[in-house]
Amino acid sequence: MRQCKQIIDLVSQQMESKLPWSIRMEVKIHLLMCKNCHRYAKQLSFMQSELNQLEKNLSSVSLATPAKKRIKQSFKLAINESSND
Amino acid sequence: MTQHSPETWLNEYGDLLYRYALLRVRSETTAEDLVQETLLAGLQSWSKFTGKSSVSTWLVGILKHKIIDFFRKHRHEINQSQMDESADDALAYQFDAEGNWQVDLVEWNMPDTQLDHQQFSKVFKLCISRLPQRMADLLFLCSIENVPMVECCELLGFESDNQLWVTLSRTRVKLRQCLNTHWFEQG
Repeated sequence: MRQCKQIIDLVSQQMESKLPWSIRMEVKIHLLMCKNCHRYAKQLSFMQSELNQLEKNLSSVSLATPAKKRIKQSFKLAINESSND
Repeated sequence: MTQHSPETWLNEYGDLLYRYALLRVRSETTAEDLVQETLLAGLQSWSKFTGKSSVSTWLVGILKHKIIDFFRKHRHEINQSQMDESADDALAYQFDAEGNWQVDLVEWNMPDTQLDHQQFSKVFKLCISRLPQRMADLLFLCSIENVPMVECCELLGFESDNQLWVTLSRTRVKLRQCLNTHWFEQG
Protein backbone atom coordinates (compact mmCIF):
# COMPACT_ATOMS: atom_id res chain seq x y z
CA MET A 1 0.00 0.00 0.00
CA ARG A 2 1.23 3.42 -0.95
CA GLN A 3 1.47 6.27 1.57
CA CYS A 4 -0.22 9.65 1.10
CA LYS A 5 3.10 11.17 0.06
CA GLN A 6 3.23 8.81 -2.92
CA ILE A 7 -0.46 9.07 -3.70
CA ILE A 8 -0.26 12.84 -4.22
CA ASP A 9 2.46 12.32 -6.85
CA LEU A 10 0.16 9.94 -8.69
CA VAL A 11 -2.77 12.34 -8.38
CA SER A 12 -0.58 14.96 -10.02
CA GLN A 13 0.71 12.65 -12.74
CA GLN A 14 -2.82 11.56 -13.58
CA MET A 15 -3.65 15.08 -14.66
CA GLU A 16 -1.33 14.81 -17.66
CA SER A 17 -0.98 11.11 -18.33
CA LYS A 18 -2.93 7.90 -18.19
CA LEU A 19 -1.70 5.53 -15.50
CA PRO A 20 -2.09 1.75 -15.64
CA TRP A 21 -5.52 0.50 -14.57
CA SER A 22 -4.35 -1.09 -11.30
CA ILE A 23 -2.66 2.11 -10.17
CA ARG A 24 -5.70 4.19 -11.14
CA MET A 25 -7.84 1.91 -8.99
CA GLU A 26 -5.45 2.15 -6.07
CA VAL A 27 -5.54 5.95 -6.23
CA LYS A 28 -9.30 5.93 -6.51
CA ILE A 29 -9.73 3.70 -3.48
CA HIS A 30 -7.20 5.70 -1.48
CA LEU A 31 -9.08 8.91 -2.26
CA LEU A 32 -12.33 7.36 -1.12
CA MET A 33 -10.85 6.49 2.24
CA CYS A 34 -8.45 9.37 2.88
CA LYS A 35 -10.02 12.74 3.63
CA ASN A 36 -6.78 14.71 3.24
CA CYS A 37 -5.77 13.21 -0.09
CA HIS A 38 -9.32 13.65 -1.31
CA ARG A 39 -9.15 17.34 -0.44
CA TYR A 40 -5.73 17.60 -1.99
CA ALA A 41 -6.97 16.12 -5.27
CA LYS A 42 -9.94 18.48 -5.28
CA GLN A 43 -7.69 21.47 -4.66
CA LEU A 44 -5.36 20.45 -7.47
CA SER A 45 -8.17 20.31 -9.98
CA PHE A 46 -9.34 23.72 -8.81
CA MET A 47 -5.81 25.05 -9.32
CA GLN A 48 -5.75 23.50 -12.76
CA SER A 49 -8.96 25.19 -13.84
CA GLU A 50 -7.61 28.51 -12.56
CA LEU A 51 -4.44 28.00 -14.56
CA ASN A 52 -6.47 27.32 -17.67
CA GLN A 53 -8.46 30.46 -16.97
CA LEU A 54 -5.25 32.43 -16.78
CA GLU A 55 -4.36 31.19 -20.21
CA LYS A 56 -7.76 32.09 -21.61
CA ASN A 57 -7.43 35.64 -20.27
CA LEU A 58 -4.24 35.96 -22.26
CA SER A 59 -6.18 35.47 -25.47
CA SER A 60 -7.03 39.18 -25.42
CA VAL A 61 -3.41 40.27 -24.98
CA SER A 62 -1.75 41.97 -27.92
CA LEU A 63 1.62 43.43 -28.83
CA ALA A 64 2.27 46.79 -27.21
CA THR A 65 2.47 49.72 -29.64
CA PRO A 66 6.14 50.59 -28.95
CA ALA A 67 7.13 46.97 -29.52
CA LYS A 68 5.13 46.87 -32.71
CA LYS A 69 6.87 50.02 -33.95
CA ARG A 70 10.26 48.58 -33.11
CA ILE A 71 9.55 45.33 -34.90
CA LYS A 72 8.14 47.18 -37.90
CA GLN A 73 11.30 49.24 -38.23
CA SER A 74 13.68 46.31 -38.03
CA PHE A 75 11.48 44.42 -40.43
CA LYS A 76 11.45 47.26 -42.97
CA LEU A 77 15.19 47.45 -42.75
CA ALA A 78 15.48 43.75 -43.44
CA ILE A 79 13.09 43.96 -46.40
CA ASN A 80 15.08 46.80 -47.95
CA GLU A 81 18.30 44.89 -47.45
CA SER A 82 16.93 41.77 -49.05
CA SER A 83 15.53 43.68 -52.04
CA ASN A 84 18.95 45.27 -52.58
CA ASP A 85 20.58 41.87 -52.88
CA MET B 1 1.36 43.91 -52.46
CA THR B 2 0.04 40.37 -52.55
CA GLN B 3 -2.26 39.01 -49.94
CA HIS B 4 0.45 37.16 -48.03
CA SER B 5 3.35 39.50 -48.60
CA PRO B 6 5.72 39.86 -45.63
CA GLU B 7 4.73 43.50 -45.14
CA THR B 8 1.38 42.35 -43.79
CA TRP B 9 2.74 39.76 -41.35
CA LEU B 10 3.15 42.01 -38.35
CA ASN B 11 -0.42 43.28 -38.57
CA GLU B 12 -1.89 39.93 -39.48
CA TYR B 13 0.00 37.56 -37.21
CA GLY B 14 1.94 39.75 -34.75
CA ASP B 15 -0.55 39.35 -31.91
CA LEU B 16 -1.05 35.66 -32.51
CA LEU B 17 2.70 35.02 -32.38
CA TYR B 18 3.08 37.27 -29.37
CA ARG B 19 0.43 35.42 -27.35
CA TYR B 20 1.89 32.08 -28.31
CA ALA B 21 5.33 33.18 -27.14
CA LEU B 22 4.10 34.96 -24.02
CA LEU B 23 2.29 31.89 -22.79
CA ARG B 24 5.49 29.91 -22.97
CA VAL B 25 8.19 32.31 -21.91
CA ARG B 26 6.02 34.51 -19.64
CA SER B 27 8.12 37.60 -20.17
CA GLU B 28 6.74 40.41 -22.30
CA THR B 29 10.11 41.64 -23.54
CA THR B 30 11.30 38.14 -24.37
CA ALA B 31 8.05 37.42 -26.20
CA GLU B 32 8.41 40.64 -28.21
CA ASP B 33 11.98 39.75 -29.12
CA LEU B 34 10.88 36.29 -30.20
CA VAL B 35 8.19 37.74 -32.47
CA GLN B 36 10.77 39.98 -34.08
CA GLU B 37 13.23 37.13 -34.56
CA THR B 38 10.50 34.96 -36.00
CA LEU B 39 9.37 37.53 -38.55
CA LEU B 40 12.95 38.18 -39.64
CA ALA B 41 13.68 34.48 -39.94
CA GLY B 42 10.45 34.09 -41.90
CA LEU B 43 11.50 36.83 -44.26
CA GLN B 44 14.80 35.09 -44.88
CA SER B 45 13.23 31.79 -45.75
CA TRP B 46 10.13 33.20 -47.43
CA SER B 47 11.31 31.93 -50.83
CA LYS B 48 11.20 28.40 -49.38
CA PHE B 49 7.58 28.72 -48.25
CA THR B 50 5.68 26.15 -50.25
CA GLY B 51 2.15 27.12 -49.39
CA LYS B 52 1.39 23.63 -48.09
CA SER B 53 0.37 25.14 -44.77
CA SER B 54 -1.03 28.56 -44.02
CA VAL B 55 1.37 31.42 -43.42
CA SER B 56 0.36 31.61 -39.76
CA THR B 57 1.04 27.90 -39.18
CA TRP B 58 4.35 28.30 -40.93
CA LEU B 59 5.33 31.29 -38.80
CA VAL B 60 4.26 29.54 -35.58
CA GLY B 61 6.51 26.66 -36.61
CA ILE B 62 9.45 29.06 -36.84
CA LEU B 63 8.50 30.58 -33.49
CA LYS B 64 8.47 27.12 -31.88
CA HIS B 65 12.09 26.65 -32.81
CA LYS B 66 12.97 30.08 -31.46
CA ILE B 67 11.31 29.18 -28.15
CA ILE B 68 13.23 25.90 -27.94
CA ASP B 69 16.45 27.84 -28.52
CA PHE B 70 15.48 30.29 -25.82
CA PHE B 71 14.94 27.56 -23.23
CA ARG B 72 18.18 25.85 -24.21
CA LYS B 73 20.13 29.03 -23.64
CA HIS B 74 18.58 29.66 -20.28
CA ARG B 75 18.46 26.16 -18.92
CA HIS B 76 22.01 26.31 -17.63
CA GLU B 77 21.30 29.40 -15.62
CA ILE B 78 18.97 27.51 -13.34
CA ASN B 79 20.51 25.96 -10.31
CA GLN B 80 19.12 22.46 -10.18
CA SER B 81 20.23 21.45 -6.68
CA GLN B 82 18.83 24.58 -5.11
CA MET B 83 15.49 23.95 -6.73
CA ASP B 84 15.28 20.36 -5.54
CA GLU B 85 16.09 21.34 -1.97
CA SER B 86 13.34 23.89 -1.81
CA ALA B 87 10.96 21.30 -3.25
CA ASP B 88 11.79 18.80 -0.54
CA ASP B 89 11.31 21.41 2.16
CA ALA B 90 7.79 21.90 0.99
CA LEU B 91 7.12 18.18 1.35
CA ALA B 92 8.84 17.66 4.68
CA TYR B 93 6.61 20.33 6.11
CA GLN B 94 3.47 18.45 5.20
CA PHE B 95 4.30 14.78 5.71
CA ASP B 96 5.68 12.81 8.62
CA ALA B 97 8.49 10.26 8.31
CA GLU B 98 6.03 7.53 7.28
CA GLY B 99 4.63 9.66 4.47
CA ASN B 100 1.30 10.53 6.06
CA TRP B 101 -0.15 14.02 6.35
CA GLN B 102 1.15 15.87 9.42
CA VAL B 103 -1.86 18.14 9.71
CA ASP B 104 -5.34 17.96 8.29
CA LEU B 105 -5.90 19.93 5.11
CA VAL B 106 -8.50 22.64 5.43
CA GLU B 107 -11.38 22.55 3.01
CA TRP B 108 -11.09 25.37 0.49
CA ASN B 109 -13.97 27.76 0.11
CA MET B 110 -13.69 28.50 -3.57
CA PRO B 111 -14.01 32.20 -4.50
CA ASP B 112 -17.57 32.65 -5.74
CA THR B 113 -18.23 36.33 -6.29
CA GLN B 114 -16.69 38.39 -9.08
CA LEU B 115 -14.77 40.62 -6.66
CA ASP B 116 -13.63 37.64 -4.65
CA HIS B 117 -12.36 36.03 -7.78
CA GLN B 118 -10.48 39.11 -8.92
CA GLN B 119 -8.64 39.27 -5.63
CA PHE B 120 -7.98 35.58 -5.68
CA SER B 121 -6.45 35.89 -9.15
CA LYS B 122 -3.95 38.37 -7.80
CA VAL B 123 -2.86 35.98 -5.06
CA PHE B 124 -2.76 33.15 -7.58
CA LYS B 125 -0.44 35.09 -9.88
CA LEU B 126 1.72 36.08 -6.93
CA CYS B 127 2.06 32.45 -5.89
CA ILE B 128 3.03 31.44 -9.42
CA SER B 129 5.66 34.18 -9.53
CA ARG B 130 7.16 32.79 -6.32
CA LEU B 131 7.76 29.38 -7.85
CA PRO B 132 11.31 28.60 -8.93
CA GLN B 133 11.66 29.43 -12.62
CA ARG B 134 11.87 25.91 -13.95
CA MET B 135 8.91 24.77 -11.88
CA ALA B 136 6.78 27.55 -13.32
CA ASP B 137 8.01 26.74 -16.82
CA LEU B 138 7.10 23.12 -16.27
CA LEU B 139 3.63 23.95 -15.05
CA PHE B 140 2.89 26.15 -18.05
CA LEU B 141 4.46 24.05 -20.75
CA CYS B 142 3.43 20.57 -19.75
CA SER B 143 0.29 21.19 -17.83
CA ILE B 144 -1.46 24.08 -19.51
CA GLU B 145 -0.03 23.96 -23.00
CA ASN B 146 0.03 20.18 -23.13
CA VAL B 147 3.41 20.19 -24.79
CA PRO B 148 4.37 16.51 -25.25
CA MET B 149 6.45 15.00 -22.44
CA VAL B 150 9.46 14.30 -24.62
CA GLU B 151 9.57 17.92 -25.67
CA CYS B 152 9.10 19.15 -22.07
CA CYS B 153 12.01 17.01 -20.88
CA GLU B 154 14.13 18.34 -23.70
CA LEU B 155 13.19 21.98 -23.24
CA LEU B 156 13.62 22.04 -19.49
CA GLY B 157 16.49 19.62 -19.22
CA PHE B 158 14.88 16.71 -17.36
CA GLU B 159 16.76 13.48 -17.65
CA SER B 160 13.76 11.19 -17.36
CA ASP B 161 9.98 11.24 -17.45
CA ASN B 162 9.99 10.24 -13.81
CA GLN B 163 12.09 13.22 -12.79
CA LEU B 164 9.62 15.43 -14.63
CA TRP B 165 6.57 13.89 -12.94
CA VAL B 166 8.09 14.21 -9.48
CA THR B 167 9.04 17.84 -10.07
CA LEU B 168 5.61 18.64 -11.46
CA SER B 169 4.04 17.15 -8.36
CA ARG B 170 6.37 19.19 -6.08
CA THR B 171 5.44 22.27 -8.06
CA ARG B 172 1.80 21.66 -7.28
CA VAL B 173 2.59 21.06 -3.62
CA LYS B 174 4.34 24.41 -3.46
CA LEU B 175 1.65 26.28 -5.35
CA ARG B 176 -1.07 24.73 -3.21
CA GLN B 177 0.77 25.60 -0.04
CA CYS B 178 1.19 29.22 -1.10
CA LEU B 179 -2.51 29.56 -1.96
CA ASN B 180 -3.48 27.88 1.26
CA THR B 181 -1.40 30.28 3.34
CA HIS B 182 -2.12 33.48 1.48
CA TRP B 183 -5.74 33.03 0.56
CA PHE B 184 -7.65 30.13 2.03
CA GLU B 185 -6.37 30.36 5.58
CA GLN B 186 -7.01 34.10 5.58
CA GLY B 187 -10.68 33.23 5.72
